[in-house]
Amino acid sequence: MSDVVERTLTALPSLLSSDPSPGRPSSTSKLGTLIRGITELTSKHDEEKLIQRELVSIKEQVSSPNTTMRQMKELMVRAVYCEMLGYEASFSYIHAIKLAQQGTALDKRVGYLAVSLFLNESHELLLLLVNTVLKDLQSTNLIEVCMALTVVGQVFPKDMIPAILPMVEEKLNHPKEIIRRKAVLALYKFYLIAPNQVQHIHSKFRKALCDKDPGVMSASLHIYLEMVTEKPESYKDLVVSFVTILKQVVGGKLPIDFNYHSVPAPWLQIQLLRILSLLGKNDRSTSEMMYEVLDESLRRAEMNHNITYAILFECVKTIYTIHPKAELLEKAAKCIGNFVLSPKINLKYLGLKALTYVVQQDADLALQHQMTIIECLDHSDLIIKRETLELLFRITNGQNVKVIVEKLLEFLRHSKDDYVTIDLGGKVTELAEKYPSEMISSSLWCMNE
Amino acid sequence: MRFMLLFSRQGKLRLQKWYVPLGDQEKRRLGRELVQTILGRKAKMCSFLEWRDLKVVYKRYASLYFCCAIEEQDNELITLEVIHRYVELLDKYFGSVCELDIIFNFEKAYFILDEFLLGGEAQETSKKSVLKAIEQADQLQENIDFQMRLFPVAGRHSQKASSELVSQSELVSQSELVSQSELCLPVLVLVLNQGLDGVLVPNMASESSGLFQN
Repeated sequence: MSDVVERTLTALPSLLSSDPSPGRPSSTSKLGTLIRGITELTSKHDEEKLIQRELVSIKEQVSSPNTTMRQMKELMVRAVYCEMLGYEASFSYIHAIKLAQQGTALDKRVGYLAVSLFLNESHELLLLLVNTVLKDLQSTNLIEVCMALTVVGQVFPKDMIPAILPMVEEKLNHPKEIIRRKAVLALYKFYLIAPNQVQHIHSKFRKALCDKDPGVMSASLHIYLEMVTEKPESYKDLVVSFVTILKQVVGGKLPIDFNYHSVPAPWLQIQLLRILSLLGKNDRSTSEMMYEVLDESLRRAEMNHNITYAILFECVKTIYTIHPKAELLEKAAKCIGNFVLSPKINLKYLGLKALTYVVQQDADLALQHQMTIIECLDHSDLIIKRETLELLFRITNGQNVKVIVEKLLEFLRHSKDDYVTIDLGGKVTELAEKYPSEMISSSLWCMNE
Repeated sequence: MRFMLLFSRQGKLRLQKWYVPLGDQEKRRLGRELVQTILGRKAKMCSFLEWRDLKVVYKRYASLYFCCAIEEQDNELITLEVIHRYVELLDKYFGSVCELDIIFNFEKAYFILDEFLLGGEAQETSKKSVLKAIEQADQLQENIDFQMRLFPVAGRHSQKASSELVSQSELVSQSELVSQSELCLPVLVLVLNQGLDGVLVPNMASESSGLFQN
């Protein structure tokens, strides 16, 4: 034992004096040289030449049997960089998969990263990755399991899902919360691409929802949002759980770690609000369960920070979607008013958007703010202008249709974007059909465009 | 989320992450056009765009534009916060991050992004646990590197053993590793690693900013 210690201790000074991590500078310096080379060049043509040369040298090195995994990793990084700049490096895809298979730790990580960046779900080479992923999922090294689950959650061929599903399901019961969380997200991805494959494990999702770790629970909410969007009726029994969770979150019962600028778990709140809005739509009894917690969220989100505005916006949307309640509507209307009148341009945009959404139910709200709306019409930012026009389109009636159509046409004349032109043009024709008498002169304009 | 792009003021792409399957050509075309559109917008304009059939949220931090395309029903303001949270994570990891850090260490930036957003959705994990996961993976690599230098012949075996140890100790903090150390070679290496902690490990982060200080 002592001579081992001695050996190590004698080796130490040489280690400390020499470059502490000889592996790293060489990798960063090659990539660094490449990048510095590119930034120094001025013309696109030179850049192309340099990259082509680089790609040729990479190609040589990846095909040679002598490259170690360490070097392969560094080559992959350069290949990813070249692809990012827009040049093709498809010869390196297979080597990325090999790297993920044979490398360890960081090499494997870069291999997986390269695979997720290079390939998309329908690529044939992805099938080769399945074995590697299976092996890694069974590994005792937790980091490898995490890497495998991350890749599964991002790119995975649809046909191979049955092969990997039992392993991923097993991970749902893992003692480590990070693995459970990633497993839930991988299942979410499966649900998105092949919903019939995961039908049988809905009970496991429920377990994830009640998981004691908030991270796992919020991951399961993604799945629930999808399922509730498709079939709200089957999940009405979960309304109570969702409401309870939201109450706890808003009340600050989560560990302080989840606070984002002193707002408790905002993403979680927003997911829950969305789910609740879908469940409460057109359903009076369900909506009644939610009023209290919505009121609480509105009250808590009074602070002036971007994130609280986000929560407020979502709350307002929810309140207007579910079965209406007078006081909540009033509070929500006040919120929208604040948004529209705010000098911050982002909030103005959202206020207008909210008004557009709301105007079907509550037309006076728009009338209250008509001065601001008219100001927005002449705003320098085109996006605001467009949004205002959208809003006006919704509130057209017999009296103001002529003015509105004129404004729309004026905007159309100046817009250069095809999509916008088509969209607004469609709206004008729609209005023309609805109010034919007032529109005769304006429609002549329309034909000219 | 559909995709996320990071690009400089000159329109050079620094990072791209696509969460929808699209062909290469299309990705490039989309990316280019979107970049042009955003660069053409003035400073005081709205952070939200409706471009083609997508909703786009973008924000500029120093010389880098962070741009995300989201689904119809997603909340725009929360996406702004997703961007902000990502920047905070990068800042914490690289220590006062600048564009050069992201350029030269883009694979690290990708790792952090993957830890935070999986499949296009934000995993509501605390900032600490995201960074902890990345650090532990880095730590594992450091351990393996260190061993390879000391015992190049032992190589494979000790790598496996050290990774086993790390997994057995369930990714716990360094001090607990010391308490569990037995009388075997790889462990001794790890124990020594504790002592050299101050020299080796932080170099990972500081090296990048040190070398490429702008």
